[in-house]
Amino acid sequence: MEKISQSVVKKDHLPKITGRSCYVGDYVGDILVGKMLRSKYARAKVLSVKVPELPEGYYYVDRNDVPGDNNVNIVMDDTPVYAREIVEYIGEPIAMVCGPDEAVVKEILSKIEVEYEELEPLLDLRLATEAHFDYEYGKGDLEKAFAEADKVYVEEFETGYQDQAYIECQGMMAEPEADGRMFVHGSMQCAYYVHGAVARVLGCGPSGVHVLQDVTGGGFGGKEAFPSILGSQVAVAAKKAGKAVRCIFDRDEDLEFSSKRHPSLNTYKIAVKDGKITAMDIDVKFNGGAYTTLSAVVLQRGIIAASGVYNVPNLHVRGRALKTNSTPSGAYRGFGAPQTFFSVEMFMNHIAQDLGIDSIDFKLANVVKQGDGTSTSGIYHFPVPLVDMLNEVDAKTDLFKKHKEYSKPQTGRYRKGIGMSWYFHGAGFTGSGERDHIKAVAKLHKYPDGSVEVLACNGEIGQGLRTTFPKIVAHELNIPLEKVYYDHPDTARVPDSGPTVASRSLMVVGELLRRAAIKLRDVWVDGEDQIVTENFKEPDFMIPFYIDKFQGDAYPTYAWAVNAIEVEVDTYTGVTKIVNATGNFDVGTPIDWNIVMGQMEGGFLQGIGYTSTEKIYYDNKGRMRNTTFSDYLIPTSKDVVDLNCMLHVEKYPNGPYGAKGAGELPLVGAPGAFVEAVEMALGAGHKINHMPFNAEEVIKELSKEV
Amino acid sequence: MDAIKFVLNGVEVAYEGSATDRLLDVLRDTYGTKSVKCGCKEGECGACSVLIDGTLINSCCVAMGAVDGCSIVTVEGFRETERFAALEKAFAGISAVQCGFCIPGMILAAEALLSKNPHPTTDEIREGLSGNLCRCTGYNAIVSAINTAAKEGNGLW
Amino acid sequence: MVNGYAPKCLQEALEIRAAHDVVPYAGGTDLMVENRPNVTYLFLNKIPELKQVVVDDNYIRIGSGVTFTEAIANENVPQLMKEAISRIAACAIRNAGTFGGNLGNGSAKADSVLIEFVSGAKLRLLSVKGERIVDVEKFYLGRKKLDLGSDEIIAEVLLPKTGLENYYYEKVGGRNALAISRVSFAGVFEEKDGKIVNIAAAFGAVADTVLRYRDIEAMLIGKTIEEAKAMKAEYIQAYSDRMVLTRGRVSAEYRKTVCMNLLGEFLSKFGI
Repeated sequence: MEKISQSVVKKDHLPKITGRSCYVGDYVGDILVGKMLRSKYARAKVLSVKVPELPEGYYYVDRNDVPGDNNVNIVMDDTPVYAREIVEYIGEPIAMVCGPDEAVVKEILSKIEVEYEELEPLLDLRLATEAHFDYEYGKGDLEKAFAEADKVYVEEFETGYQDQAYIECQGMMAEPEADGRMFVHGSMQCAYYVHGAVARVLGCGPSGVHVLQDVTGGGFGGKEAFPSILGSQVAVAAKKAGKAVRCIFDRDEDLEFSSKRHPSLNTYKIAVKDGKITAMDIDVKFNGGAYTTLSAVVLQRGIIAASGVYNVPNLHVRGRALKTNSTPSGAYRGFGAPQTFFSVEMFMNHIAQDLGIDSIDFKLANVVKQGDGTSTSGIYHFPVPLVDMLNEVDAKTDLFKKHKEYSKPQTGRYRKGIGMSWYFHGAGFTGSGERDHIKAVAKLHKYPDGSVEVLACNGEIGQGLRTTFPKIVAHELNIPLEKVYYDHPDTARVPDSGPTVASRSLMVVGELLRRAAIKLRDVWVDGEDQIVTENFKEPDFMIPFYIDKFQGDAYPTYAWAVNAIEVEVDTYTGVTKIVNATGNFDVGTPIDWNIVMGQMEGGFLQGIGYTSTEKIYYDNKGRMRNTTFSDYLIPTSKDVVDLNCMLHVEKYPNGPYGAKGAGELPLVGAPGAFVEAVEMALGAGHKINHMPFNAEEVIKELSKEV
Repeated sequence: MDAIKFVLNGVEVAYEGSATDRLLDVLRDTYGTKSVKCGCKEGECGACSVLIDGTLINSCCVAMGAVDGCSIVTVEGFRETERFAALEKAFAGISAVQCGFCIPGMILAAEALLSKNPHPTTDEIREGLSGNLCRCTGYNAIVSAINTAAKEGNGLW
Repeated sequence: MVNGYAPKCLQEALEIRAAHDVVPYAGGTDLMVENRPNVTYLFLNKIPELKQVVVDDNYIRIGSGVTFTEAIANENVPQLMKEAISRIAACAIRNAGTFGGNLGNGSAKADSVLIEFVSGAKLRLLSVKGERIVDVEKFYLGRKKLDLGSDEIIAEVLLPKTGLENYYYEKVGGRNALAISRVSFAGVFEEKDGKIVNIAAAFGAVADTVLRYRDIEAMLIGKTIEEAKAMKAEYIQAYSDRMVLTRGRVSAEYRKTVCMNLLGEFLSKFGI
């Protein structure tokens, strides 16, 4: 193992395991408790709000209290801080009540009378027509390919919501400071996103606010944009009260009203000629919810991945993020790709079934290789290791043999299946985002005592950045790891190295830090206080990407994965037991073996939860019905056997020591592998095209005549 | 009215508030034992686990009146022990701590398990942790760390 | 203490229960989730009389304050009961949750109550006025409705001493731990001199209360296995016709299918 890959004790290990780490809920002092007044209807005009007389020290805060702009800057600016006249989803925050005693705050909230005029909401994605975003791209001659095809297949796929279910709920806090600045801190991934949003909402300019990421109890995308909203809300409240205000969501509130993964409806039309795919015509619909938040970028990633890891010479993809009167959907690990990869992988299985061949063989016949064109007419510049990785998975699991064996008719109560999916995750921001929008800057500050501080704004959310960033710097400077440290970022003292998203932090910012360390090494003078700065540079091999046409290299490189999941289905109860879950992941050089394996295992299990038990139920009014952890079912330690994860290393020359994006990859492919396995166990003829696929779905599917 | 008397991490304390108050809130707000985390308030996540008379309990599901006369241990107390040191080392060795929010509860679940069963099988470890949700790790590393602690800390439990 | 009473013995508890408007508190695992405002709790968790498992001539008597963890470790508790309660939530909840609390919640999903139904258990209720022994089937009046006086507490569960050895049990939850039952099934079977002397089936979590139909069971009592086999389809159909299930997190159709599958499996297990 390379030295950089050797595991170290994580820098935040001791404070966390001893319970000394201070999360946003752990601050003590004179802090007001904020709780939301939320809309009861999915769509309504708020005619009046009658607030009872407030006791001394209690405040009612709504849009009239916003000093600047009542719109939170995310990608667009349509998400209100506090609701406008018309509320657009159940739970939309109309106002916040804050004060010293939580019980009193709750009592005040219960006495507030809101008069609504109910309006007809749109809740069903199938009926939605108003697009937040509508993209289209393609290549080749679709019409000709379909006309010349041996066979043309059409199928629709549906995927559900998924909640990030970090164990620490959303929580933000704002404190007015003596110098007039607003200090905002809490549980978040992207300090500068919050900074920009709050500055605009307070109308105070960038210098009027600074933002600190507290120790954060998990994010997974859920704390990418949402803290910009909650941060703005507490900042407005703190401004009005002139005191610190903290709002921490209860679990039911978090499950119901914070952003979740986009549900999707994806219609695929595929042309096959001589055992090869010749064309795909794909229509992707994501349920964006009431406001746009991150739907634009989630959708972009989703549609770029829509044709999977296959060579498709003639391609047309249309993607829409549609407006519904539901909680705005947002970022979640995988970011649009799990939905489309599930669809294309299942469709490949179904086509192979119809062609009478093993789906693995069919997939092998169509898989991309280095030098092939991407969906957006870019190029796979680097080796595509999928076939090798598949063979490695077979060596571990006996996949090929079992895949054929379990496909034969089975009888009895318990039946077996094994599924395989393979896929990529584009590393870093989509398209020219890094070059045009993020423009990351990172610094190293060397102190006279020889210690070096990393100055960047990427948040440690469990993925290990407080350890891996210093590891890179210490390695390059050849100094002990103890001499390099990386604290939670405060925008008052660190540059904007970009958000903690898109599996980019280690690959992009890690590389900036590596280069900064080389610079520092060159100018190092003992005993002096020195600062070096490094700016992002686009790799020179890239084919420029144009987002208006979806043409060019959407990503500089790709992380690759092959998953195989083996199940045993109880046909009497529908309960599916996972017998084996194997994931082979290529994220380039692991910067720390344990940390990377932890990411792979954790992400893989989230993917398994997504496709099996994590179903969200809504009633016909648009209200989520399962808003507790006893009812929204994430996996426990008893729901899986030991996950069998392995790393296949294809180095990326422009990432630090060959590292690529890692964090999101392991989640993306579990649905394709799991559902194929269940489908196989149920027997030939069963075609599953939706997920999550839980016990009830199994029984329902079994009752169908096939 | 008599106060509710109990022992917290070896120190006798008397709580004057309502017997219906949640132990979780009282531990955090009155006694400042902030290692006890709130993840759900319904006994489903285990982040608020404590040991009451040596038994693993979700402190969100306990009313103060029920702990009169009990001895309660949180990580603030447990971290001073040799057993903690063995667990800490094992967790460090495999980087089993990610976001950290579930970890104090996990550590106490591990202690509760090992004190009853010093040499658990993997299945027994998974059973012992099954009330403590972790969203980061996929559980592999935590299960493995407890396995290691049980082996390396031979004799401590 | 403020808003609470912590009696040291049963008699004191009964007196408080009679004299004050109190909510009996056993393990707290359901009550604290509800977190009702402005209540006064009667803490029953430290009353020695309620924490025993004793065996007399007819019954295994499980105190209402016995926790599930304690019962799993107790040699007198039947295996069927152990199997069911070891599937409750996870260890921290089993360490606190009690038999009394499981009953007091009035839920058809209560895993210990299913076993009490199938075994024809009785409950011993106490008040200052004396004791009342009721069949568990009569104690459960409907969803969250119990035949429990405002001065009474549940003191003991009386399980029959014999007849639970041959059983079939399945719990279907949404996941493997921390799972509330979506369908649960328990069946017990007893054969003597070639004839069926007892065959009982109970279904949990599928309607407002646990379901058990003694009249359908009677169809097979006194029959030989061969005779029962011949009646199997009719028997299952009788259940199917009778069971009107409600939807919960899962549909009524799902519940019905699983119930029938498990009923059939139960019969098969005992050669029917």
